[in-house]
Amino acid sequence: MASFDDLERLREEGLTRVREAAGGEALRALEREYLEKGGVVTSLLAEIPKLEPTARRDAGIGANRLKGEIEGALAARREELLEAELAREAGGAFDATLPAAPSQRGSLHPITQVTREVEEIFTAMGYRVLDGPEVELDFYNFQALNIPADHPAREHQDTFWCDEEQNLVLRTQTSPVQIRAMETLEPPFRVIAPGRVFRNEACDATHEHTFHQVEGLVVGEDVNVGHLIGTLKGFLGEIFRRETDVRLRPGFFPFVEPGFEVDVRCPFCESGCRVCSDTTWIEYCGCGMVHPHVLRAGGIDPERWSGFAFGMGLDRLVMMRHRIDDIRHFMGGDLRFLTQF
Amino acid sequence: MLLSYRWLERHIDLTGTDAEEVARLLTLHTAEVEGVERVLPHLDDVVVGFVVERQKHPDADKLSLCRVDVGTGENLSIVCGAPNVDAGQKVAVARVGTVLPGDFKIKKSKIRGQESHGMICSVRELELGDEHDGIWVLAEDAEVGTPVSGAVGLLDWALEIDNKAITHRPDLWGHRGMARELAAILDRELHPLDLTLPETGGAAGAPVRIETEGCTRYVALEVGNVRTGGSPPWLRHLLLSVGQRPIELTVDVSNFVMLDLGQPNHLFDRARVGGEGIVVRDARAGESLTTLDGMERKLETADMLICSGDEPVALAGVMGGEASMVADETTALLLEVASFHAATVRRTSARLGLRTDASARFEKSLDPNLPIQAAAHLVRTLAAIQPDIELPSPPTDAGPWTDPSVELELRPERLRKLLGAPIEDTEIARMLGKLDFVVVPGDPLRVRVPSFRATKDVSIEEDLIEEVGRLYGLTRIAEAELTAAVRPVPRDARRDAVRAIQDRLAGGARFHEVLTYSFLPEELCTEVGAESETCVEVVNPVSEGWQRVRRSVVPSLLGLLQRNLRNTDDVRLFEVGKGYLPEHTDERGQPREVHEVGMVWAAPAPGKRARFDADRLSELKGVVEELLAEFTATFTWSAASDERPRWSHPGRRLVASSPGRDGTQQELAFLSGLDPRIARSLGVAADVAVARLSIDALLALPDRGSRYTSLPKFPGVKIDVALAVPEERRAAELVHAIERAGKGLVADVELFDLYRGEQVGEGRKSLAYHVLLQSETKTLSDKDGQKFLARIEQEAEKLGGELRKE
Ligand SMILES: [Zn+2]
Repeated sequence: MASFDDLERLREEGLTRVREAAGGEALRALEREYLEKGGVVTSLLAEIPKLEPTARRDAGIGANRLKGEIEGALAARREELLEAELAREAGGAFDATLPAAPSQRGSLHPITQVTREVEEIFTAMGYRVLDGPEVELDFYNFQALNIPADHPAREHQDTFWCDEEQNLVLRTQTSPVQIRAMETLEPPFRVIAPGRVFRNEACDATHEHTFHQVEGLVVGEDVNVGHLIGTLKGFLGEIFRRETDVRLRPGFFPFVEPGFEVDVRCPFCESGCRVCSDTTWIEYCGCGMVHPHVLRAGGIDPERWSGFAFGMGLDRLVMMRHRIDDIRHFMGGDLRFLTQF
Repeated sequence: MLLSYRWLERHIDLTGTDAEEVARLLTLHTAEVEGVERVLPHLDDVVVGFVVERQKHPDADKLSLCRVDVGTGENLSIVCGAPNVDAGQKVAVARVGTVLPGDFKIKKSKIRGQESHGMICSVRELELGDEHDGIWVLAEDAEVGTPVSGAVGLLDWALEIDNKAITHRPDLWGHRGMARELAAILDRELHPLDLTLPETGGAAGAPVRIETEGCTRYVALEVGNVRTGGSPPWLRHLLLSVGQRPIELTVDVSNFVMLDLGQPNHLFDRARVGGEGIVVRDARAGESLTTLDGMERKLETADMLICSGDEPVALAGVMGGEASMVADETTALLLEVASFHAATVRRTSARLGLRTDASARFEKSLDPNLPIQAAAHLVRTLAAIQPDIELPSPPTDAGPWTDPSVELELRPERLRKLLGAPIEDTEIARMLGKLDFVVVPGDPLRVRVPSFRATKDVSIEEDLIEEVGRLYGLTRIAEAELTAAVRPVPRDARRDAVRAIQDRLAGGARFHEVLTYSFLPEELCTEVGAESETCVEVVNPVSEGWQRVRRSVVPSLLGLLQRNLRNTDDVRLFEVGKGYLPEHTDERGQPREVHEVGMVWAAPAPGKRARFDADRLSELKGVVEELLAEFTATFTWSAASDERPRWSHPGRRLVASSPGRDGTQQELAFLSGLDPRIARSLGVAADVAVARLSIDALLALPDRGSRYTSLPKFPGVKIDVALAVPEERRAAELVHAIERAGKGLVADVELFDLYRGEQVGEGRKSLAYHVLLQSETKTLSDKDGQKFLARIEQEAEKLGGELRKE
């Protein structure tokens, strides 16, 4: 039990112990021992009312001074220790190469990411985004697109049929959404339709039976080939994030007339590389002015309205952007691939 | 299809161009050229040599020792085994270091003690033909030391045309048609080509009878006094340059005409057919024919036959028969040039898997005017090589064909408007004229489409606009900006919903989005126990067992677990996708499409001391609630019925539902543990929870609305209560009890512990809650808390339980 008689000794001992304390834990213990409920100083202060009235004043001054000094010493020692710790870490004790805490987020599929980007670019240009069924009627996938039953173009499409009568297919292209758009919207309109399409072919590094396209359709008064070129150029410039030269050349798709293939200037080289087979051009999409038969199938008068349509591969776009060399990764569901995007 | 640059030069002057330039022009104006290759490039390295001297090899009877001048000033010693080598010949020499086809590199060698510095080549060694009974002796005027390619006129390039780009252009399946395009592109003239038949004798020709609708024209012509044998070098070289093997003169000429004009034709040995006349008819069931390639073909009634009398001699439009083919002793030919229906030929060729140069062309709907022209071309080409051939009788020309050429109107103003290019009327007429369209000026222009473009390619005004556009040059059309009224694009609720869900899952919930096939493979289907579910099925699956089109995305996600758990122990996957329900098929035959989000979460089972809600099902439930809260504030959970997917855990499955706009209850989400038996068959040992969210149901909900709750004005009291109750009491009952005890003051109830064990006894459990009491009118005191505790004690007793005291 501390007494006012050893005030000086208590002071000496307390201050020494604080100055020599080795760390935060020890300081905290000393703080408890001296300053908190039941501690040395607190007990002294509690003694004061029991003293002779004449002795109380001095005792009060002495105990409060002791309290103040111990508090001051604790603060000073804390500061010293902090300085020392900072000096130690600044001196190289900190290991910057230790791994971070695990990531706190999931991921969106790269195809979703690029689809969103495509949607944003086109919605900013006034396009609506439409969806269409993947199990589609032959009527929408072929007939209404000017591809009647015996048309040779069907042979190049490697169609998955869902019934023997060939009434139902897994859509081979996003183009059927063109007809569905014409059926539901009044011209003028601009739409895109991204989505999954199917071709019955064996998978390898560059072929998939399931892949992704985005279709575009614009119907209006006096829509012409120049508008088509301007639109594609504007879009590709955005998606490749740089001015992109495009080149139209004749292409055959039964639902457009005239029909074109679009080449884009290779984004990877100046004078030819492996990606562009040394041509500096990459075949990128098919497009054209909507065939009058197709407009009519969609209930639109081709004498009053004209339009253009285009269709392009999204997998290709992602592969080009990230230099992915195997298309099978997209549908493979391997987290080691998916978490990279 | 391959085009030869030199072959094109037979039809048009290509001065000022080269093969690359022609390829570029065709690509930009007509059809894609996929590549340009030097024809037989090894002939550049083989040089013309002059055999200065030939001696017998001192140690080998059949070998010669030659000294050959190859223009270097020093004669090479070459050992040669060919019987026909002799001094004074010009020969093809592969020097040391030259690489011949088959990666055969010529080296310096010693043959029976004599050094040999090269090789004198045979025709076969240079891949120019099959002859190998001696060396190739060149013409006397070949210049010593120069590459053989130039010396024999075999400096050529092959242009590979993308066949897909010309499926609609029957006229482009021969060199003449492509040359016509080049003439229009380069604004040059085609060289004239005489396609009239020479005069014939007056004998009666072979009778022809057509008994099928699949044949619209059949021209038969007899050619006599023919000698079979090798073709002249020019013909052999042209065929070689487009990858065709020269075979024999008459066959080579027949091929030449097909590759020149695009019109297939066939030569029969006159002695073996046509005695009783030619009959074109449909095959009979059970009939068969051995084709040129020696294969016996079983026929069906949809196939079309050429018969000699009743005896099949060719599969019309596809391939000739073996028995009637031209042979060495043939001296008279019966030439067939016909027009067959595209679809008939395509079906037969597809069914038999027999795609030939002929069938590829017939499939494109050839010009019915062509057969007689092709017959003339063949006869004139053959006569140029064998001038004494005879045409004993006029051609038999049968069939109900009509000229397909049509006249179309073209409004120049419409053309300009659609192309967005200022092309003058005169320019339009000039360009169309170069492609053999006949244009009568005026407005509209009256345009006669030539028969070779009219079979199916050009039939409307837009087709003409395309012709003008591509000749004018698509790259010359200026880009333009679309203009329209500025109007907000209507929001799409479905897309907004999908985006919100994707963002929440990939964000805070730390799920990874996958895309998986729409097919449910047999093996996976069995593993997840879905064999009995009916699916839309593909009749021609990509591989065996891949016919099912999925009803839900969940099984596909389950199929990814095992593989991913090998690399990481916490696997959270989701997919936004579609499923198809064949039992709900609409009147047009389309199955109902359901749009859903599937989620699976697999991780190690929580340890004994983990919090009560640390298992996958509780955690995924939290994720799902987060998602649902985006759409509705009023959904409720309930136990799921028994009619649930086999993969769902029979004791741990529940649904969240809420009334839709139309008042019907919408099942928004299905949540379940994974049935341990299914987990075993999937090879998954982790704790797994699965959820399925119906986007269709979410979109059927009334607008969620949102209203702000004012902040409390008075401080509340926080009280912890632990209730021990019999096991069968549900958590919701306890919450209700707490709310009743609070008499309207309960602002928040949060379960923080769930305990079973000694302290509460068998068959009982303890649930501990943080309860927040709050009043809108006054500051609550400890006294209010005491009253609440007293009431909750009674409420607990009503539930057969008790309020646990510390
Ligand atoms: Zn490149």
